[in-house]
Amino acid sequence: MTDVRLIAERPEPAPPRPWHFPPFTRREVAGGRMLVCDIPGRPLAVVSLVIDAGATTEPSGQEGVAELAARALSEGTQRLDAYGFAVASERLGAVWRSNVDWDSLRCGFEVPVDNLVEATGLLADAVRTPGFDDATLTRVRDERVDEIALDQSQPGPRAVSAFVAAVFAEGSRYSRPDGGTAATVGALEPDDVRRFHAQRFGPATATAIVVGDLSDIDVDAVGTALFGGWESSAAPASVPDVTPRENQRRIVVVDRPGSVQSMLYAGHDAPARSTSDYVPMTTMALVLGGMFNSRLNYRLREEKGYSYGAFGSFDCRRHGGTFAARSAVQTEVTAPALVDAVGEIVAMHKDGVRPEELEQARSYRAGVFPISFAGPGPVAAGLGDLVTHGFPDDHFDRLRQQVLDVTVDQVNAAASARLRPDNLVCVVVGDAGKVVPELESTGLGPVEVVADDD
Amino acid sequence: MPALPHYPFVRHRLDNGLRVVISEDHLAPVVAVNIWYDVGSRHESAGRTGFAHLFEHLMFQGSTHVGRNDHFGLVSAAGGTLNGTTWCDRTNYYETVPAHHLETALWLEADRMGGLLDALDQQNLDNQREVVKNEKRQSRDNQPYGAWLDLVHELAFPPGHPYQHSTIGSMADLDAASLEDARSFYSTWYGPDNAVLSIVGDVDPDATLAAVQRYFGGIPAKGSYPPPPAHDLDPRIGAEIRRVVPDRVPVPRTFIAYRCPPFGSRGFESIELASTVLGGGRGSRLYKALVLDRPLMQPDDEITSTWPFVAGGTVLIADLPAREGVDINELEAAYHDVADRLVDGITDDELERARSLITSGWLHHLTSVDGRADAFSQFTTLFDAPELVNDMLPRLLSVTAEEAAHWAGEVIRPDNRVVLQFVPAADEDAA
Repeated sequence: MTDVRLIAERPEPAPPRPWHFPPFTRREVAGGRMLVCDIPGRPLAVVSLVIDAGATTEPSGQEGVAELAARALSEGTQRLDAYGFAVASERLGAVWRSNVDWDSLRCGFEVPVDNLVEATGLLADAVRTPGFDDATLTRVRDERVDEIALDQSQPGPRAVSAFVAAVFAEGSRYSRPDGGTAATVGALEPDDVRRFHAQRFGPATATAIVVGDLSDIDVDAVGTALFGGWESSAAPASVPDVTPRENQRRIVVVDRPGSVQSMLYAGHDAPARSTSDYVPMTTMALVLGGMFNSRLNYRLREEKGYSYGAFGSFDCRRHGGTFAARSAVQTEVTAPALVDAVGEIVAMHKDGVRPEELEQARSYRAGVFPISFAGPGPVAAGLGDLVTHGFPDDHFDRLRQQVLDVTVDQVNAAASARLRPDNLVCVVVGDAGKVVPELESTGLGPVEVVADDD
Repeated sequence: MPALPHYPFVRHRLDNGLRVVISEDHLAPVVAVNIWYDVGSRHESAGRTGFAHLFEHLMFQGSTHVGRNDHFGLVSAAGGTLNGTTWCDRTNYYETVPAHHLETALWLEADRMGGLLDALDQQNLDNQREVVKNEKRQSRDNQPYGAWLDLVHELAFPPGHPYQHSTIGSMADLDAASLEDARSFYSTWYGPDNAVLSIVGDVDPDATLAAVQRYFGGIPAKGSYPPPPAHDLDPRIGAEIRRVVPDRVPVPRTFIAYRCPPFGSRGFESIELASTVLGGGRGSRLYKALVLDRPLMQPDDEITSTWPFVAGGTVLIADLPAREGVDINELEAAYHDVADRLVDGITDDELERARSLITSGWLHHLTSVDGRADAFSQFTTLFDAPELVNDMLPRLLSVTAEEAAHWAGEVIRPDNRVVLQFVPAADEDAA
């Protein structure tokens, strides 16, 4: 066999090529707001609505009604039943997507651009004149209750619901998953969904997003189809209650006998998206748990082999947020893995980042902008974020520059202020009989065991 | 039907056998680099199941000029994303980077293609073995219904067939894997003449090919590779196979797998269309019958799907999670009532709906540069035909209603199915 000849020297990168978020326009059409982005040469387009009807706009006690409303939109209109609506959209190659998060409800189609106008008509019908008959709303609710049970049978989602219940005060919207619980969803009546729709859906709360090759598209006609003649009294939502608990560090074990892994969550409440140190704080989190070479993944996976992966991140919403480190670890190493994870949070809080770590996080985060926004779907999602958070047009370009400019001092100040090791809630979904004694001996904090069906 | 896009590409073969596909796309200043090695879990030897995948992990642990954590570190620092995956027919490695970092990605891939053994050691193997065992626990052993995939492999393919075991392998085999196994696996399968490199994005094809030549040209060809394991397969399973699996699950769920013609064949393409009519989207027959007309199963936009396996045959799978309180046998009977009738014919309206869904699904798959790069590698590795990136969709759209019904009759039948029933068990019985 001949010798292997490899290039020893790592290549220097070529000069960076300029990148900007794709140019878009804001328009007012037929009394509605639109964000429009022309991306020539792409066969698929997106038409969607971003509506101020996220989980935090739900009436207290009706957690999950936004998700239910979003699902029921595509289950028939006043013209077409559920099957008719599905066939009509699928014959256009239009794929319906709806999504509810804390801050908005988004729904619409990805569709071959030739069929964009026809799909827009279906979207308008779904959002403005949904069928919402009793039988359909009851079926969709019952499906959703079953889905929550399926979801909660998985360790990850079960850990999330235990985590938010422990971090946020009873009655705080953030104390329950954004899609609601089996109990809150199961108690919803058809009238609750109809009322939510009437109060939250309208031209004052909705913004249209249109992205794709629009060279042959009459965008104003799209806007008119969506907004023309839409009468609604829906108004911007009031500020929700998202109060956190005052936690001292503690451990909550959700008992699942026989589990071969423990799902770990360790975190606390965090600032809203609008916090002035958002960029330093989230860049710090990249070093802690947001990249493959992050400290958490390195320690728990690459050094110890405890886990397939370990992560840590902030989830910053309009009215507040969370920080959490998370990992699924082999049952036998539950206690040492949690000690390691908490140890990384403590170390970051106390000592901050090294310059070379920050350099890698900075260049990673700035570099992935063009990858993150390649194509109509991701651009539409980015435009939706501008709507949800009220960001200016040059938001993504500015954000990228802020990332490039962030300093070690700023990041370390954020680590010190925004990580609060003394307030960590540590959730363990696993076999309590096997893990509790060792968890108690870690000294991390008091251990409470709750039943799986709590 | 919308006008279908045509993605330009050039192909080339280096003197060492490395096949290269380059496709320009200047929408954004990014480039996707994707390598398929023509080795997957299908090529594993007895007692070493899971090894191709474990080996994939070792490919991220450094090579001649790349330090242990530098592969991820350098791509991240370049502002790129990366990963690798293993399945029955292949192992792939890919990174998407800002276009001016193209050569960083090429350098990293070339270094591990030619120089992995310089960095491979017992410590890396032991660590990644534990990581992979936790991957198995996380994706299978600690998940409700987590055993279904391994059971489909085990039951839909006969003993001795290379698809009879799944890619993750067994804990015992993972434990048995030695450093010598890893060295031997690399020496056997990892060479330029057993790989395809695809590059899609904001690049100049001539300059890119020159760079590929520079980084990969010094890696010698191996010259020969073991013949693939025998994969002769009867077209049908022969008799229904049925398994009841008590598990810690909230509701019963039935998986039904049928053996079907391999990916790349007209039969497979016909089954793709049949599957879309039957269980693709909310306008499909199964969605209407089992979700809308009677509340028997949880809604799912893709009730039926296929795996793209090429060796002898593959499977069509139906996934039927029951609604709370629904008798699992009633659901299954209602399912067969619908599925077994596909052979009777497909209407023009159904055909048009299915073709539209297949079109938009395919366009979506090829939207991103990384999706397209993977498709170029896939079609070149499996069929030596990168042009299928453009030609596969027209092929799928040329399937007639008669062909789809015919192949449905060949495949969707009682003597050709595996039925797995997951049922809730009392805690002490749970797996």
